[in-house]
Amino acid sequence: MSMAMVGRVSLEQAKSLVEFLETDQQEKADELIAEIQNPINSELFAEIGKLTRQLHDSLTNFQLDSRLSDLATADIPDAKERLNYVITRTEEAANKTMDAVESIFPVVDKISEQVRAVNPSWTKLMNNEIELKEFKTLCVDIDSLLVTTGKETSHIHSLMTDVLMAQDFQDLTGQVIRKVIDLVREVEESLINMLTAFGISAENIRGNSIPKVGENLVEGPIVNAEDRDDVVEDQDDVDDLLSSLGF
Amino acid sequence: MNVSPEGALDKNMKVLVVDDFSTMRRIVKNLLRDLGFTNIQEADDGSTALPMLQGGDFDFVVTDWNMPGMQGIDLLKAIRADSSLAHIPVLLITAEAKKEQIVMAAQAGVNGYIVKPFTAGTLKTKLDKIFERLG
Repeated sequence: MSMAMVGRVSLEQAKSLVEFLETDQQEKADELIAEIQNPINSELFAEIGKLTRQLHDSLTNFQLDSRLSDLATADIPDAKERLNYVITRTEEAANKTMDAVESIFPVVDKISEQVRAVNPSWTKLMNNEIELKEFKTLCVDIDSLLVTTGKETSHIHSLMTDVLMAQDFQDLTGQVIRKVIDLVREVEESLINMLTAFGISAENIRGNSIPKVGENLVEGPIVNAEDRDDVVEDQDDVDDLLSSLGF
Repeated sequence: MNVSPEGALDKNMKVLVVDDFSTMRRIVKNLLRDLGFTNIQEADDGSTALPMLQGGDFDFVVTDWNMPGMQGIDLLKAIRADSSLAHIPVLLITAEAKKEQIVMAAQAGVNGYIVKPFTAGTLKTKLDKIFERLG
Protein backbone atom coordinates (compact mmCIF):
# COMPACT_ATOMS: atom_id res chain seq x y z
CA MET A 1 0.00 0.00 0.00
CA SER A 2 1.64 3.16 -1.16
CA MET A 3 -0.62 5.71 0.56
CA ALA A 4 -0.65 6.29 4.24
CA MET A 5 -4.09 5.35 5.53
CA VAL A 6 -5.97 6.24 8.62
CA GLY A 7 -8.98 3.98 8.12
CA ARG A 8 -9.45 0.69 6.29
CA VAL A 9 -10.10 2.29 2.93
CA SER A 10 -8.52 5.29 1.20
CA LEU A 11 -10.37 7.94 -0.79
CA GLU A 12 -8.39 6.90 -3.86
CA GLN A 13 -9.55 3.32 -3.52
CA ALA A 14 -13.15 4.38 -3.06
CA LYS A 15 -12.98 6.53 -6.19
CA SER A 16 -11.52 3.64 -8.22
CA LEU A 17 -14.22 1.35 -6.92
CA VAL A 18 -16.97 3.74 -8.01
CA GLU A 19 -15.28 4.14 -11.38
CA PHE A 20 -15.06 0.33 -11.91
CA LEU A 21 -18.73 -0.07 -11.02
CA GLU A 22 -19.82 2.79 -13.23
CA THR A 23 -17.88 1.44 -16.21
CA ASP A 24 -19.30 -2.04 -15.61
CA GLN A 25 -15.97 -3.63 -14.62
CA GLN A 26 -17.38 -5.92 -11.95
CA GLU A 27 -14.34 -8.23 -11.84
CA LYS A 28 -11.91 -5.38 -11.18
CA ALA A 29 -14.22 -3.99 -8.55
CA ASP A 30 -14.33 -7.38 -6.78
CA GLU A 31 -10.54 -7.61 -6.94
CA LEU A 32 -10.24 -4.18 -5.38
CA ILE A 33 -12.63 -5.09 -2.58
CA ALA A 34 -10.57 -8.24 -1.93
CA GLU A 35 -7.41 -6.17 -1.87
CA ILE A 36 -8.94 -3.69 0.56
CA GLN A 37 -10.04 -6.55 2.82
CA ASN A 38 -6.66 -8.27 2.80
CA PRO A 39 -3.69 -6.36 1.38
CA ILE A 40 -1.42 -9.46 1.52
CA ASN A 41 -3.47 -11.23 -1.15
CA SER A 42 -1.99 -9.19 -3.97
CA GLU A 43 1.56 -10.25 -3.02
CA LEU A 44 0.41 -13.83 -2.69
CA PHE A 45 -1.20 -13.70 -6.14
CA ALA A 46 2.02 -12.31 -7.57
CA GLU A 47 4.00 -15.14 -5.97
CA ILE A 48 1.59 -17.81 -7.20
CA GLY A 49 1.76 -16.23 -10.65
CA LYS A 50 5.55 -16.46 -10.61
CA LEU A 51 5.51 -20.11 -9.48
CA THR A 52 2.94 -20.99 -12.13
CA ARG A 53 5.16 -19.49 -14.81
CA GLN A 54 8.17 -21.41 -13.50
CA LEU A 55 6.21 -24.65 -13.45
CA HIS A 56 4.99 -23.98 -16.97
CA ASP A 57 8.57 -23.33 -18.15
CA SER A 58 9.84 -26.47 -16.41
CA LEU A 59 7.14 -28.58 -18.03
CA THR A 60 7.88 -27.06 -21.44
CA ASN A 61 11.60 -27.70 -21.06
CA PHE A 62 10.85 -31.19 -19.83
CA GLN A 63 8.89 -31.93 -23.01
CA LEU A 64 11.68 -30.42 -25.07
CA ASP A 65 14.24 -32.83 -23.58
CA SER A 66 13.89 -35.34 -26.41
CA ARG A 67 16.53 -37.63 -24.89
CA LEU A 68 14.08 -38.63 -22.18
CA SER A 69 11.39 -39.53 -24.68
CA ASP A 70 13.95 -41.46 -26.75
CA LEU A 71 14.91 -43.35 -23.62
CA ALA A 72 11.31 -44.30 -22.94
CA THR A 73 10.25 -45.15 -26.49
CA ALA A 74 13.40 -46.62 -28.02
CA ASP A 75 16.22 -47.37 -25.61
CA ILE A 76 14.25 -49.12 -22.89
CA PRO A 77 12.35 -51.47 -25.26
CA ASP A 78 15.73 -52.15 -26.90
CA ALA A 79 17.22 -52.96 -23.49
CA LYS A 80 14.41 -55.44 -22.83
CA GLU A 81 15.26 -57.19 -26.09
CA ARG A 82 18.93 -57.24 -25.13
CA LEU A 83 18.16 -58.80 -21.76
CA ASN A 84 15.94 -61.40 -23.40
CA TYR A 85 18.88 -62.19 -25.66
CA VAL A 86 20.99 -62.79 -22.53
CA ILE A 87 18.39 -65.24 -21.18
CA THR A 88 18.26 -67.08 -24.51
CA ARG A 89 22.02 -67.28 -24.93
CA THR A 90 22.73 -68.41 -21.36
CA GLU A 91 19.99 -71.03 -21.58
CA GLU A 92 21.39 -72.28 -24.89
CA ALA A 93 24.88 -72.44 -23.42
CA ALA A 94 23.66 -74.33 -20.34
CA ASN A 95 21.81 -76.84 -22.52
CA LYS A 96 24.70 -77.29 -24.98
CA THR A 97 27.05 -77.93 -22.07
CA MET A 98 24.65 -80.38 -20.44
CA ASP A 99 24.06 -82.16 -23.78
CA ALA A 100 27.80 -82.77 -24.03
CA VAL A 101 28.21 -83.76 -20.37
CA GLU A 102 25.23 -86.11 -20.52
CA SER A 103 26.78 -87.85 -23.54
CA ILE A 104 30.14 -88.13 -21.78
CA PHE A 105 28.73 -89.75 -18.57
CA PRO A 106 27.73 -93.11 -20.16
CA VAL A 107 30.97 -93.30 -22.17
CA VAL A 108 33.09 -92.83 -19.07
CA ASP A 109 30.89 -95.32 -17.20
CA LYS A 110 31.40 -97.87 -20.01
CA ILE A 111 35.19 -97.53 -19.93
CA SER A 112 35.32 -97.71 -16.16
CA GLU A 113 33.12 -100.83 -16.21
CA GLN A 114 35.44 -102.56 -18.70
CA VAL A 115 38.46 -101.63 -16.60
CA ARG A 116 36.74 -103.07 -13.54
CA ALA A 117 35.97 -106.26 -15.47
CA VAL A 118 39.59 -106.93 -16.53
CA ASN A 119 41.07 -105.92 -13.17
CA PRO A 120 40.93 -109.30 -11.31
CA SER A 121 42.54 -111.22 -14.18
CA TRP A 122 45.09 -108.45 -14.67
CA THR A 123 46.07 -108.61 -11.00
CA LYS A 124 46.54 -112.36 -11.35
CA LEU A 125 48.74 -111.79 -14.41
CA MET A 126 50.89 -109.28 -12.55
CA ASN A 127 51.31 -111.78 -9.70
CA ASN A 128 52.15 -114.61 -12.12
CA GLU A 129 49.08 -116.52 -11.01
CA ILE A 130 47.09 -116.54 -14.22
CA GLU A 131 46.19 -119.70 -16.13
CA LEU A 132 46.43 -119.95 -19.87
CA LYS A 133 42.66 -120.07 -20.46
CA GLU A 134 42.03 -116.99 -18.31
CA PHE A 135 45.02 -115.27 -19.95
CA LYS A 136 43.46 -115.73 -23.38
CA THR A 137 40.15 -114.27 -22.17
CA LEU A 138 42.06 -111.39 -20.58
CA CYS A 139 43.80 -110.66 -23.89
CA VAL A 140 40.45 -110.50 -25.68
CA ASP A 141 39.01 -108.23 -22.93
CA ILE A 142 42.01 -105.91 -23.00
CA ASP A 143 41.86 -105.77 -26.77
CA SER A 144 38.23 -104.67 -26.57
CA LEU A 145 39.08 -102.18 -23.81
CA LEU A 146 41.79 -100.64 -25.99
CA VAL A 147 39.44 -100.38 -28.96
CA THR A 148 36.70 -98.79 -26.84
CA THR A 149 39.06 -96.39 -25.10
CA GLY A 150 40.70 -95.32 -28.36
CA LYS A 151 37.39 -94.67 -30.03
CA GLU A 152 35.62 -93.08 -27.08
CA THR A 153 38.44 -90.78 -25.98
CA SER A 154 38.35 -89.02 -29.34
CA HIS A 155 34.54 -88.84 -28.98
CA ILE A 156 34.98 -87.32 -25.48
CA HIS A 157 37.56 -84.91 -26.84
CA SER A 158 35.14 -83.56 -29.42
CA LEU A 159 32.34 -83.28 -26.82
CA MET A 160 34.70 -81.35 -24.54
CA THR A 161 35.41 -78.95 -27.40
CA ASP A 162 31.63 -78.41 -27.58
CA VAL A 163 31.63 -77.57 -23.86
CA LEU A 164 34.50 -75.17 -24.41
CA MET A 165 32.75 -73.44 -27.33
CA ALA A 166 29.49 -73.13 -25.41
CA GLN A 167 31.27 -70.74 -23.02
CA ASP A 168 31.39 -68.01 -25.71
CA PHE A 169 28.09 -66.75 -24.26
CA GLN A 170 30.09 -65.04 -21.50
CA ASP A 171 31.74 -62.60 -23.92
CA LEU A 172 28.55 -61.88 -25.91
CA THR A 173 26.20 -61.51 -22.95
CA GLY A 174 28.84 -59.51 -21.07
CA GLN A 175 28.90 -56.91 -23.86
CA VAL A 176 25.11 -56.75 -24.00
CA ILE A 177 24.74 -56.39 -20.23
CA ARG A 178 27.38 -53.64 -20.13
CA LYS A 179 25.30 -51.64 -22.63
CA VAL A 180 22.18 -52.10 -20.51
CA ILE A 181 24.10 -50.93 -17.43
CA ASP A 182 25.07 -47.75 -19.34
CA LEU A 183 21.43 -47.19 -20.21
CA VAL A 184 20.32 -47.69 -16.61
CA ARG A 185 22.93 -45.15 -15.53
CA GLU A 186 21.63 -42.64 -18.10
CA VAL A 187 18.01 -43.13 -17.03
CA GLU A 188 19.07 -42.70 -13.41
CA GLU A 189 20.79 -39.40 -14.21
CA SER A 190 17.80 -38.11 -16.20
CA LEU A 191 15.42 -38.97 -13.38
CA ILE A 192 17.65 -37.31 -10.80
CA ASN A 193 17.87 -34.17 -12.98
CA MET A 194 14.11 -34.11 -13.26
CA LEU A 195 13.67 -34.49 -9.50
CA THR A 196 16.21 -31.72 -8.90
CA ALA A 197 14.32 -29.46 -11.34
CA PHE A 198 11.21 -29.98 -9.24
CA GLY A 199 13.11 -29.20 -6.07
CA ILE A 200 13.28 -32.72 -4.64
CA SER A 201 16.65 -33.70 -3.24
CA ALA A 202 18.02 -36.86 -4.82
CA GLU A 203 20.01 -37.64 -1.68
CA ASN A 204 16.84 -38.17 0.35
CA ILE A 205 15.53 -40.59 -2.21
CA ARG A 206 18.77 -42.54 -2.53
CA GLY A 207 18.83 -43.13 1.19
CA ASN A 208 15.62 -45.21 1.18
CA SER A 209 16.70 -48.02 -1.15
CA ILE A 210 15.15 -51.03 0.57
CA PRO A 211 15.01 -53.97 -1.87
CA LYS A 212 11.57 -54.85 -3.14
CA VAL A 213 10.35 -58.24 -1.99
CA GLY A 214 7.43 -60.33 -3.16
CA GLU A 215 5.11 -62.75 -1.43
CA ASN A 216 6.89 -64.82 1.26
CA LEU A 217 9.74 -62.24 1.13
CA VAL A 218 11.03 -63.62 -2.19
CA GLU A 219 13.85 -61.51 -3.58
CA GLY A 220 15.93 -63.86 -5.73
CA PRO A 221 19.72 -64.13 -5.57
CA ILE A 222 21.31 -61.71 -3.09
CA VAL A 223 24.10 -59.80 -4.83
CA ASN A 224 25.38 -57.85 -1.82
CA ALA A 225 25.20 -60.43 0.97
CA GLU A 226 28.33 -59.06 2.69
CA ASP A 227 26.66 -55.63 3.13
CA ARG A 228 23.51 -57.04 4.71
CA ASP A 229 22.79 -58.67 8.02
CA ASP A 230 19.34 -60.07 7.22
CA VAL A 231 20.69 -62.72 4.82
CA VAL A 232 22.99 -65.76 4.98
CA GLU A 233 26.20 -65.68 2.97
CA ASP A 234 26.68 -69.39 2.27
CA GLN A 235 25.59 -72.93 3.05
CA ASP A 236 27.55 -72.94 6.34
CA ASP A 237 25.45 -69.97 7.53
CA VAL A 238 22.28 -71.87 6.57
CA ASP A 239 23.43 -74.97 8.45
CA ASP A 240 24.39 -72.92 11.53
CA LEU A 241 21.02 -71.16 11.56
CA LEU A 242 19.12 -74.42 11.17
CA SER A 243 21.11 -76.15 13.90
CA SER A 244 20.46 -73.19 16.22
CA LEU A 245 16.77 -73.92 15.60
CA GLY A 246 17.32 -77.52 16.71
CA PHE A 247 17.62 -79.03 13.23
CA MET B 1 9.73 -94.53 3.28
CA ASN B 2 11.55 -96.92 0.99
CA VAL B 3 14.59 -97.60 3.09
CA SER B 4 16.26 -100.98 2.70
CA PRO B 5 16.99 -103.12 5.80
CA GLU B 6 20.60 -101.93 6.06
CA GLY B 7 19.34 -98.35 6.29
CA ALA B 8 20.86 -97.55 2.91
CA LEU B 9 18.95 -95.37 0.51
CA ASP B 10 16.55 -97.04 -1.88
CA LYS B 11 17.71 -95.70 -5.21
CA ASN B 12 14.41 -96.74 -6.78
CA MET B 13 12.49 -94.21 -4.73
CA LYS B 14 10.29 -91.89 -6.77
CA VAL B 15 11.61 -88.34 -6.74
CA LEU B 16 9.88 -85.15 -7.93
CA VAL B 17 12.11 -82.23 -8.96
CA VAL B 18 10.26 -78.88 -8.99
CA ASP B 19 11.84 -75.77 -10.56
CA ASP B 20 10.61 -73.22 -13.11
CA PHE B 21 13.97 -73.22 -14.94
CA SER B 22 14.44 -76.30 -17.10
CA THR B 23 18.23 -75.97 -16.90
CA MET B 24 18.14 -76.14 -13.09
CA ARG B 25 15.82 -79.19 -13.22
CA ARG B 26 18.30 -80.78 -15.60
CA ILE B 27 21.24 -80.08 -13.28
CA VAL B 28 19.43 -81.50 -10.25
CA LYS B 29 18.30 -84.55 -12.25
CA ASN B 30 21.85 -85.21 -13.41
CA LEU B 31 23.21 -84.91 -9.87
CA LEU B 32 20.52 -87.23 -8.51
CA ARG B 33 21.17 -89.74 -11.32
CA ASP B 34 24.86 -89.58 -10.47
CA LEU B 35 23.95 -90.47 -6.89
CA GLY B 36 22.09 -93.50 -8.27
CA PHE B 37 18.49 -92.30 -8.36
CA THR B 38 16.71 -93.53 -11.47
CA ASN B 39 13.03 -92.74 -10.91
CA ILE B 40 12.89 -88.96 -11.30
CA GLN B 41 10.01 -86.80 -12.53
CA GLU B 42 9.75 -83.04 -13.07
CA ALA B 43 7.29 -80.20 -12.47
CA ASP B 44 7.71 -76.50 -13.23
CA ASP B 45 5.95 -75.05 -10.17
CA GLY B 46 3.97 -75.94 -7.06
CA SER B 47 0.59 -75.96 -8.73
CA THR B 48 1.80 -78.53 -11.29
CA ALA B 49 3.64 -80.52 -8.62
CA LEU B 50 0.80 -80.87 -6.11
CA PRO B 51 -1.62 -82.88 -8.32
CA MET B 52 1.32 -85.09 -9.42
CA LEU B 53 2.12 -85.78 -5.77
CA GLN B 54 -1.53 -86.49 -4.97
CA GLY B 55 -1.80 -88.82 -7.97
CA GLY B 56 1.43 -90.80 -7.62
CA ASP B 57 3.32 -92.45 -4.79
CA PHE B 58 6.29 -90.08 -4.59
CA ASP B 59 8.91 -90.68 -1.89
CA PHE B 60 10.86 -87.44 -2.03
CA VAL B 61 10.47 -83.83 -3.27
CA VAL B 62 13.27 -81.45 -4.26
CA THR B 63 11.90 -77.96 -4.89
CA ASP B 64 12.90 -74.42 -5.70
CA TRP B 65 11.30 -71.61 -3.66
CA ASN B 66 10.73 -68.71 -6.07
CA MET B 67 8.47 -69.89 -8.89
CA PRO B 68 5.51 -68.31 -10.70
CA GLY B 69 2.18 -69.83 -9.74
CA MET B 70 2.67 -71.74 -6.50
CA GLN B 71 5.93 -71.07 -4.67
CA GLY B 72 8.02 -73.86 -3.13
CA ILE B 73 7.27 -72.75 0.44
CA ASP B 74 3.54 -72.94 -0.30
CA LEU B 75 4.01 -76.37 -1.89
CA LEU B 76 5.79 -77.47 1.31
CA LYS B 77 2.91 -76.16 3.45
CA ALA B 78 0.36 -77.89 1.17
CA ILE B 79 2.27 -81.18 1.45
CA ARG B 80 2.40 -80.95 5.26
CA ALA B 81 -1.32 -80.06 5.38
CA ASP B 82 -2.36 -83.11 3.31
CA SER B 83 -2.40 -86.22 5.51
CA SER B 84 -1.65 -88.51 2.55
CA LEU B 85 1.47 -86.48 1.62
CA ALA B 86 2.61 -85.11 4.98
CA HIS B 87 5.24 -87.87 5.45
CA ILE B 88 7.14 -87.02 2.23
CA PRO B 89 10.55 -85.43 2.91
CA VAL B 90 11.04 -82.07 1.16
CA LEU B 91 14.39 -80.52 0.27
CA LEU B 92 14.47 -76.84 -0.74
CA ILE B 93 17.17 -75.76 -3.20
CA THR B 94 16.84 -72.00 -3.56
CA ALA B 95 18.53 -68.65 -4.05
CA GLU B 96 16.30 -67.22 -1.30
CA ALA B 97 18.73 -66.43 1.50
CA LYS B 98 16.95 -64.30 4.11
CA LYS B 99 17.34 -65.64 7.62
CA GLU B 100 13.64 -65.01 8.13
CA GLN B 101 12.85 -67.24 5.15
CA ILE B 102 15.03 -70.08 6.41
CA VAL B 103 13.22 -69.88 9.76
CA MET B 104 9.91 -69.82 7.85
CA ALA B 105 10.88 -72.99 5.95
CA ALA B 106 12.02 -74.74 9.14
CA GLN B 107 8.73 -73.90 10.83
CA ALA B 108 6.81 -75.18 7.79
CA GLY B 109 8.56 -78.54 8.24
CA VAL B 110 11.29 -78.57 5.58
CA ASN B 111 13.75 -81.50 5.77
CA GLY B 112 16.72 -79.71 4.21
CA TYR B 113 17.65 -76.27 2.89
CA ILE B 114 20.30 -75.76 0.23
CA VAL B 115 21.16 -72.25 -0.88
CA LYS B 116 22.12 -71.63 -4.52
CA PRO B 117 24.76 -71.66 -5.90
CA PHE B 118 25.43 -75.14 -4.50
CA THR B 119 27.74 -78.09 -5.19
CA ALA B 120 27.20 -81.79 -5.89
CA GLY B 121 28.90 -82.48 -2.55
CA THR B 122 26.39 -80.35 -0.64
CA LEU B 123 23.47 -82.14 -2.29
CA LYS B 124 24.90 -85.55 -1.35
CA THR B 125 25.58 -84.52 2.26
CA LYS B 126 22.06 -83.14 2.71
CA LEU B 127 20.42 -86.19 1.12
CA ASP B 128 22.39 -88.54 3.36
CA LYS B 129 21.42 -86.49 6.41
CA ILE B 130 17.72 -86.39 5.50
CA PHE B 131 17.44 -90.14 4.97
CA GLU B 132 19.67 -91.01 7.92
CA ARG B 133 17.22 -89.12 10.15
CA LEU B 134 14.18 -90.74 8.59
CA GLY B 135 15.78 -94.21 8.48
